[in-house]
Amino acid sequence: MNTDKHRFKTAILRHETILLCVVILEWIYFNSVGLRFGSLDNTFDIMRHSVEIGLLALAMTPIILTAGIDLSVGSLLGLCAILFGKFWRDAHMPIPLAAACTIGIGALAGGLNAVLITWLRLPPLIVTLGTFSLFRGLAEAITRGVDTFTNFPASFLFLGQERWLGIPAQVPIFVAAAIGIWLLVHRTTFGRSFRAIGFAPEGTRYAGIPVERRLAMAYVLAGIVAAVAAIIYTSRLGQAKADAGTGYELFAITAVVLGGTSIFGGVGTVHGTLLGVAAIAVLNNGLVHARQPREVAGMLTGLLLILALTSSTIPKMLASLRERRQTPVTKPITT
Amino acid sequence: MLLIFLAIAAPAFFQPQPLLSLLTREAPTLVVACGMAFVIISRQIDISVGSQFAVCCVCAGLLAAKGWPMPMVFLAAISLGAIMGALNGWLVAGIRLPSIVVTLATMVMWREALRWKRQGEFVNLPDGMQWLGLSQVGGQWTLILVALVLLVVLAMATKHLSAGRFVYAVGTDAEAARLAGIRPQLTTFSVFVFMGALVGLAAMLNVVQSPQVDPKSGSGLELKVIAAAVVGGVAVSGGRGKLWGVFVGLLLLACISPALTHLHVEAYWEKAIQGAIILLAVVADGLRTRKQRS
Amino acid sequence: MNKILSVLLLACLAIVSGCGKSEPGSSSNAGGSKITIALMPKSKGNAYFISCKKGADKAAKELGVDLVFDGPTDPDPAKQNEIIENWITLGVNAIAVACENREGISTALRKAKAKGIKIITYDADAMTDARDFFVNQATPEGIGFALMDEAARLCGNEGEFAIITASLTAANMIEWQKYIEARRADKYPNMKMVALRPCDDLKDKAQSEATALLSANANLKCIMAICSPAVPGAAEAVKQAGKTGKVKVLGLGLPNENKRYVHDGVTDSVILWNTEDLGYLTIFAANALAKGSLKAGNKTIKAGTLGEFQIEGDSILLGKPFTFNKDNIDKFDF
Repeated sequence: MNTDKHRFKTAILRHETILLCVVILEWIYFNSVGLRFGSLDNTFDIMRHSVEIGLLALAMTPIILTAGIDLSVGSLLGLCAILFGKFWRDAHMPIPLAAACTIGIGALAGGLNAVLITWLRLPPLIVTLGTFSLFRGLAEAITRGVDTFTNFPASFLFLGQERWLGIPAQVPIFVAAAIGIWLLVHRTTFGRSFRAIGFAPEGTRYAGIPVERRLAMAYVLAGIVAAVAAIIYTSRLGQAKADAGTGYELFAITAVVLGGTSIFGGVGTVHGTLLGVAAIAVLNNGLVHARQPREVAGMLTGLLLILALTSSTIPKMLASLRERRQTPVTKPITT
Repeated sequence: MLLIFLAIAAPAFFQPQPLLSLLTREAPTLVVACGMAFVIISRQIDISVGSQFAVCCVCAGLLAAKGWPMPMVFLAAISLGAIMGALNGWLVAGIRLPSIVVTLATMVMWREALRWKRQGEFVNLPDGMQWLGLSQVGGQWTLILVALVLLVVLAMATKHLSAGRFVYAVGTDAEAARLAGIRPQLTTFSVFVFMGALVGLAAMLNVVQSPQVDPKSGSGLELKVIAAAVVGGVAVSGGRGKLWGVFVGLLLLACISPALTHLHVEAYWEKAIQGAIILLAVVADGLRTRKQRS
Repeated sequence: MNKILSVLLLACLAIVSGCGKSEPGSSSNAGGSKITIALMPKSKGNAYFISCKKGADKAAKELGVDLVFDGPTDPDPAKQNEIIENWITLGVNAIAVACENREGISTALRKAKAKGIKIITYDADAMTDARDFFVNQATPEGIGFALMDEAARLCGNEGEFAIITASLTAANMIEWQKYIEARRADKYPNMKMVALRPCDDLKDKAQSEATALLSANANLKCIMAICSPAVPGAAEAVKQAGKTGKVKVLGLGLPNENKRYVHDGVTDSVILWNTEDLGYLTIFAANALAKGSLKAGNKTIKAGTLGEFQIEGDSILLGKPFTFNKDNIDKFDF
């Protein structure tokens, strides 16, 4: 059992190492093809563009660790973006207050997911599929599709478009969020309980961990982070509209899974997710510099996903085959 | 219940002709939903069906435009679907990757490849392709019958054929199924191939409904059929669910949008209402099981 | 285990280098003396923009400029910004873009303008301060009025009509609807818009929507489809409902997709401009702008084989929208 655990750990390590190599290889390749790919400006562009999806992916990591999923984050981003605009323009709130209210809404929306999932014990896939339509629909209904919030003050646009101490202003927020979530997942008992829930929810319950409360926390956190991403998105584009963030949930999930988090829960790391985000962002940006059409980026992302997963699954499969050969029938039934 | 409400609020909804068109439009979706039910019952998921559907539609259209005879086109579309399904199945059952990730990847890959090759151009079909060369009403009935017969046959198969029961067994507990002499990997693989073949068939049912093929057809299909399956009572945790439920679930979802049109609800609210109905359906189900538990 | 790792790395290398080989040496042009023009559609995989690109390719060949064509695969304003910012770093000379989202994209365009890149918008405009010129294929006013006039003519100035649009958030369609409504209120008070339905830019969805519209509104006289996949979709629905002639379809669409229905008498007319010319003119304008021969205040611009075009303020006018009907639709192939 102990060696098994050890092997598992090295497998994870290997996955992230592979991913790091992929990112570095991408970098080297695009740098040799694109003239200005490696420039500082472009590096900052890549960072700036991946902040929103990166944030969503960060928030998705603990959820997927618990074997859950949240399909509603992209729609929630849209809803928060237009509510932020509404607070600021129609309710005449100052920007900080509007931002605070938006984050509150995000938490509430995440709370709705959490209540349905934990209290009624409904599958997260279905609950968030419902809220995915609901949030986007509310955003469209509130603005009637037409209303666009724009002309934000320059001090607010600074956040999304300017540089602070030489780096894009939104990057420090992202770094802070990344560190915060990394600490939460890897250095606290909360984080460990996420994984435990993903492995075996009943067992975790018997171990005295409040499973429902921890699960709820993960979904509320995702709501809050989606709201923050919405504010940054609004600032970067200088406008808020009901279609903000369409399809972002898939990008975020892709990044998390590419980062080595198992969709069945229990296994995964936050730094893996960050590498997953980086691998996709560099690929997308680099292909523009290599003058490849956008479709290729999508196809390569898909391929990368399968390859990265295959690489970390094959050793496990070989191991289990070997095990099975040794003990043909007596293996305990797993669910 | 929704239907009764509709009958009172908007009787025009039940004119035979529009209802017939509605059912015809949903026939391909029903076929895909049946396949999806099997996939979910075997405790997997396939989100690449929308992209597979588009690829099959366009290829079938191109072959038909080249002058292939109708039965050949049917065969080609179904085998193409089966091949794409086999790829998913091999990655899931052979290499043991999680199905949601595999199909997420193939979804993106097929869709982008299709867009790259076709650049969104419509495919014009030869005359005589529409409605299989029958009259419109005849064609519509044929399509609906094909879908319904398939539903009935599959529903019977799940009960009376061992292959159908294998799927449930594998979905309930793969390890136990293996010990009982079922080969779970083979079953999973077959389920994906079957899903692909059904997508191919559904694509054909869609292609023959109009004289042109939109290369974007089938986008969002995966969400629709998964929602139909789940609203219809198929458990995402595998091993549980009936095809009749899927049929009812699909009918419910398919009626929402036209119903709102009939009630003259503004389109701005449609998505929100759709989400609320899905949530209500699952909440009701959740409350019921909660009561049963306690 | 190490073997697997190395195999994987090799595989990745192979993919990455494989995709590079397909276009050798293209990057060296970016910084060179040859003018590079970047052309962006609202989204890839849309027949409308492919036909624009045909014209653009022709112009680029005649002018000997380097043409980069790319855009988001889904209509997403944020993705348009990203590609533009990439192009800024890439160092293109001029950017021509069809804006998905007026305010959103202007942020990125202003940045490009500040870096000395010439900006042209076509198809749908950005904020006026964010670009140099707008190649105006038809004003929203022109389109809205033309559609409404056509609809009124078909319905005999009274009755119910419905609109099928791409999505509830598409900026240019919202603007057209505004002018359609203005024209209706002004000139055709007896006409009534009974419904507005989105079709997600899908033909099949448009067909379903139109079917529902037809049965829900028994007195419907006309369906106006204002995104190109919706026109054949709505026409098919009318045909299947057996209401050919009773309910008219009109809209903005490409001739090739609609020929069949126009000849069948389901669709009365399709309104559009010559999209190839639009792409052609856009590239000529971008080239002239990058070379400095086109400046603010010019009254005309010469575009190769198409001759001269008028400039009004900062809009280059392509000309009036064209109505394709039974008599002339076969002459066009795009």
